[in-house]
Amino acid sequence: MFERNQKTIFVLDHTRYFSIASEEYISMDFLKGKPSAHSSAGGSSQFSKSLWTCACESSIEYCRVVWDLFPGKKHVRFIVSDTAAHIVNTWSASTQNMSHVMNAMVMVGVPSRSMPQSSDYSVIHGLRAAIEALAEPTDEQSQAMASGIPDDLILNEGRVICITSARDNTSMKSLEDIFNTVLIQQNVLSATPPKKGLGINHCHLVILNIVPLGIDSMVTNRNLLEISPLLDVEIHTVGAPDISYKLTHLILDHYDLASTTVTNIPMKEEQNANSSANYDVEILHSRRAHSITCGPDFSLPTSIKQGATYETVTLKWCTPRGCGSADLQPCLGQFLVTPVDVTSRPSSCLINFLLNGRSVLLEMPRKTGSKATSHMLSARGGEIFIHSLCITRSCMDEAPSIADGPGGRVNDYRTSELGQLMKMSRMVPLKSRDPAAPNLPRRLPRYFPLTTTSTVLFHLQRHLSWLPHFLHLLVKEMDKQDEVRCQQHIHELYKSASRGDVLPFTHTNGARLKPHKAKDQYRLLYRELEQLIQLNASTVHHKNLLESLQTLRAAYGDAPSKSEAGTVNLRSFTESPLSPERLEAMSNVSISSSTNSNSLLKASKRRMSNCGTRSLLDIISSAERSQSNKRLDFSGRICTPIGQIAKLYPDFGNKEKDAAAAAAASGVGVAPKE
Amino acid sequence: MPTIIAVDASLSMLRPVPGRNEHTYLSLATKGIQHLLDNFTAAGKLEHLALISYTTTAELKVDFTRDYDQIRQAVKKIETVDKACLLTMLKTSVSIMSTWGAQNLLQLVVFTDCGLGFGTTSISGFLETYAGKEADPEYAWLRTVANYNLNFICLGLHSQLFMTPVKNPETNEATSTPSHKSELGRTAVFELIERLCETSYKSTEVTLKCGSYFRMEAPVLLWPPTTPYEQPAVLGVEAEVRQIDQRIDVCGFLALSDIGSPATLSRHWVLPKVEREKTSRRSAGMAVVAKPAKLTLDTSNPNYELERLEQDIREFYAKDPKDTEESGDDADVTIVLKHSSGPQTEQQKECLCVLLHGALKMENMAALVRVGEKWYGFMYAFTDAKKKSNLMLNILPPGSNVIPWLGDLELLGFTEDLAPGETASFPVRADRRSYSQSSVVWIRQASLQSDVQKVLRHAKKMPDKTQHFYKELNRIRRAALALGFVELLEALAMLLEKECAHLTLNGASNECTVQLQHAATELRKTSNRDIKSTIVPHQKGGVPDASSSAAVASTAGYMY
Repeated sequence: MFERNQKTIFVLDHTRYFSIASEEYISMDFLKGKPSAHSSAGGSSQFSKSLWTCACESSIEYCRVVWDLFPGKKHVRFIVSDTAAHIVNTWSASTQNMSHVMNAMVMVGVPSRSMPQSSDYSVIHGLRAAIEALAEPTDEQSQAMASGIPDDLILNEGRVICITSARDNTSMKSLEDIFNTVLIQQNVLSATPPKKGLGINHCHLVILNIVPLGIDSMVTNRNLLEISPLLDVEIHTVGAPDISYKLTHLILDHYDLASTTVTNIPMKEEQNANSSANYDVEILHSRRAHSITCGPDFSLPTSIKQGATYETVTLKWCTPRGCGSADLQPCLGQFLVTPVDVTSRPSSCLINFLLNGRSVLLEMPRKTGSKATSHMLSARGGEIFIHSLCITRSCMDEAPSIADGPGGRVNDYRTSELGQLMKMSRMVPLKSRDPAAPNLPRRLPRYFPLTTTSTVLFHLQRHLSWLPHFLHLLVKEMDKQDEVRCQQHIHELYKSASRGDVLPFTHTNGARLKPHKAKDQYRLLYRELEQLIQLNASTVHHKNLLESLQTLRAAYGDAPSKSEAGTVNLRSFTESPLSPERLEAMSNVSISSSTNSNSLLKASKRRMSNCGTRSLLDIISSAERSQSNKRLDFSGRICTPIGQIAKLYPDFGNKEKDAAAAAAASGVGVAPKE
Repeated sequence: MPTIIAVDASLSMLRPVPGRNEHTYLSLATKGIQHLLDNFTAAGKLEHLALISYTTTAELKVDFTRDYDQIRQAVKKIETVDKACLLTMLKTSVSIMSTWGAQNLLQLVVFTDCGLGFGTTSISGFLETYAGKEADPEYAWLRTVANYNLNFICLGLHSQLFMTPVKNPETNEATSTPSHKSELGRTAVFELIERLCETSYKSTEVTLKCGSYFRMEAPVLLWPPTTPYEQPAVLGVEAEVRQIDQRIDVCGFLALSDIGSPATLSRHWVLPKVEREKTSRRSAGMAVVAKPAKLTLDTSNPNYELERLEQDIREFYAKDPKDTEESGDDADVTIVLKHSSGPQTEQQKECLCVLLHGALKMENMAALVRVGEKWYGFMYAFTDAKKKSNLMLNILPPGSNVIPWLGDLELLGFTEDLAPGETASFPVRADRRSYSQSSVVWIRQASLQSDVQKVLRHAKKMPDKTQHFYKELNRIRRAALALGFVELLEALAMLLEKECAHLTLNGASNECTVQLQHAATELRKTSNRDIKSTIVPHQKGGVPDASSSAAVASTAGYMY
């Protein structure tokens, strides 16, 4: 978690020597864009960067790459050293960005040439401060400490990159020794109470000894050397103009980065808009973007750019063919990228192309001669990523067709309805999430048959204009007004049932329903409505509706069976604020209702007392009474004394259960067997 | 899971099985392979299989295919040659397998009579030459074999086990060797095959849940099976091996275009789980058992009412008027039902996966699913090159912050959850990176040149481009100050003066020369070497004081 590259500190030598020129001259004519042939035209028309400018721009470039690739994860600090150490930024996130560093550097300014040469001016101050800075915890380390993890488990390693200029190996050696001594002292300080900072587990010191162009240094280069278990030191001597190339090389190892060169990027010429030349753009990213795609039988093509000391993988740009970033690619890993040369025109062309939302596939040649798109560049949220794609054969390449699988031949799924729900349940990023906010199961309907052949309600929804509104009322939080509206709908339904209207089904292929079906259709509709209300029951209004619906069903000769009544009560009353008395009354109704108009009356009276006005049910029950008066009553009831319950199929007495099941399954209404 | 079936074709395979004269070891192996194929067929013909036979050489009989008949035919034609060499076979397998990527679990099923081989090609012979050469590149393939799932169907006698063929201390191979207890014969081989399928080829079974309605919850199979994720140890938390949960919940929906192509841990088909009749022996998978159309509903089922209602509605729709008889008066109708619908096959039964697939495909969306604690994946309709489509699940690496442009997945919600007036949409924007700002990097002289030329271009077009001129000028000036590049300020001043002289000669506007002269002067002032100062255009009659520049600050370019 806390790797060595989490903390990097640049110590910049700000002594007088750094004000001298790097001796790499820039001609004024060149700046004006004239041919460089005239550049030898005299000293006044050319100028040079100072050593300070070289050190400054290359270290800032280093952290540009780090912060582009590891935003918020890897930290870089700057310490400027002359008579004392000047801290440019801290570990805190607010100062870990380019604009802070650049602004602070304006204040530092170029070292003054008029400074007296004295021993007060030294890079040692900066190195001491760097060790103290290493001991300071980063935000992540502070967090880990606060969460109770013992300090010794929190690894604290870092790297110090010191850009200085030493006279010879002896002075370099003394620099090293001082650094080592201070490091040990700091750890002693950290270990003894009052603890001052974290102990430093390891430090990697990189000394860049820079000299103006053409000057030989007395300091010899030295590869990584272990000075003590705590300290590794390496020394590089570079000419000032080359320091950036050196750092670009070093950063690859420091952060395990790799370079990819996108070749053959077609780009319009400024002068000639009709033709386009091909350009290359080099980008940096985590090395894993390469290693993750490499398999045993192929490897990515590499080359070494002119003047560079590291390998770059060359991948060919594929002109995107309708390849929006929407296309889902099998991706093994995605990594942030940054261009090596951020200001060059090819780089900015590629970047803008990507930032505008298009993605680019990158191609590599295979041994067999064919090509494979091994990577993809795309930008999302203002960041550019390289995606390592899966180019080997995958067992997922051929899909087993869903149409051949279970359920594949059913063709009346309610796909568009679910699609609508999906669009309504599209997720968005929130700043904070209320755990009490409804999750998906609470947003999706509680009653959702998968096919249109397993529902009457949702089938008719398209053909009965009032039904969608009614269904909408049923599933939301209901108030009194909604209930009245629903009751009206139920009444309408009842009226149309009594008229024997045929519901507008489309499944019958135009054939008219047989009269018996006319009755079935309403029975099923009632049953389904009842289930729907039950599943959504959250208010007392739902209970009322349920009650009138059950009464209606009963009136229609389709009483809920006993088990159903049981579940109704169980479900609805555990969720509702109804009193136990109501529970009792209600279960009585549902069990003993049948076509008994007495109970209908009772129910309607109760409703009256609830509403105070003539309720819908009252209307229904009176209609029901007049209806039943007109026709001959069911023979079974005629034979049974009033007050007792008619018994159906007395012969089936001992096989009651079977009979009930059969009758129920055939959709025929039966009187309750009690 | 790509699988190589390797058959030992040494002469010893021709021996009759003791006590079973009707079988040789080879014929038993053939039967075993046929049975294995039957099992794969029954599971949907998903596995890619290759067939090799091996003796001292290994020969690829059938390359990877899903056409099992090819393998059935080829198995029959295997002829014995000489003695077995297991290592040749393993080495050949490595090269055959190499076309498959690391995201596939590779399997090897070896049918052998457990001969150890003779002479140099024997296992002991190999181990002798191998000893001490573990790091030799010649043996690098052994490390690849170590990642395979090796299965040996050992046709040894009784429970005589044959276990450690290439077991060497370096590559600790995951070798599973089913052994049988009963007497060697067809039954025993079939038992081994069943066990092999159970241990190595079983799809991951989970429950998929999308909402609260009971039909929106269904058992599904994930193929290929999910592999455990080894979570490395982090500060104070020990390393653990994680499996996905038994129930995967849909949390919400996202447009596929918002998801893009994020890195995924693994991909799986989401297939409906079908209750298959326990098929036995050779009939496995061959017979589709016709079930009665009418399901026997269980009254104790909590969803009994809903199921019964659905069934009644289906019957209502399905009823053919000719098949129903009516009796009685119009008040009470008794209908004698005949089951007109024939036996319902699995394909005709409704299934959540199909519905979900259809809707996701239509809307071009994906369903975000939670597969574990702080672990997510997404399901979408995947269409292959042949336009065949199915429901696919991409499992993301564990963690809630794995797709930068979607932000923390735990923080995804619905528009209704937004605070009033707040808006939110994808992608989640990151801080500006250096490439989306107007960075100044002058490491290459060419970029310095292009920045300077930009200023000069604007200079020529003053007064029209005065604002742009000063914007670019200040941008350069700030960068130069940050880098301590004061030499550039002087050079730029000189360039501007030259330009001014040049333009005067060519009769440029007065305004232009005044501004250029003013800019050059301001660049040279040491009082302007301050972060807060900005060079502002020369005002006619005004005081061209650069330090009182707050009003024009907006025109100044910010470098980073």
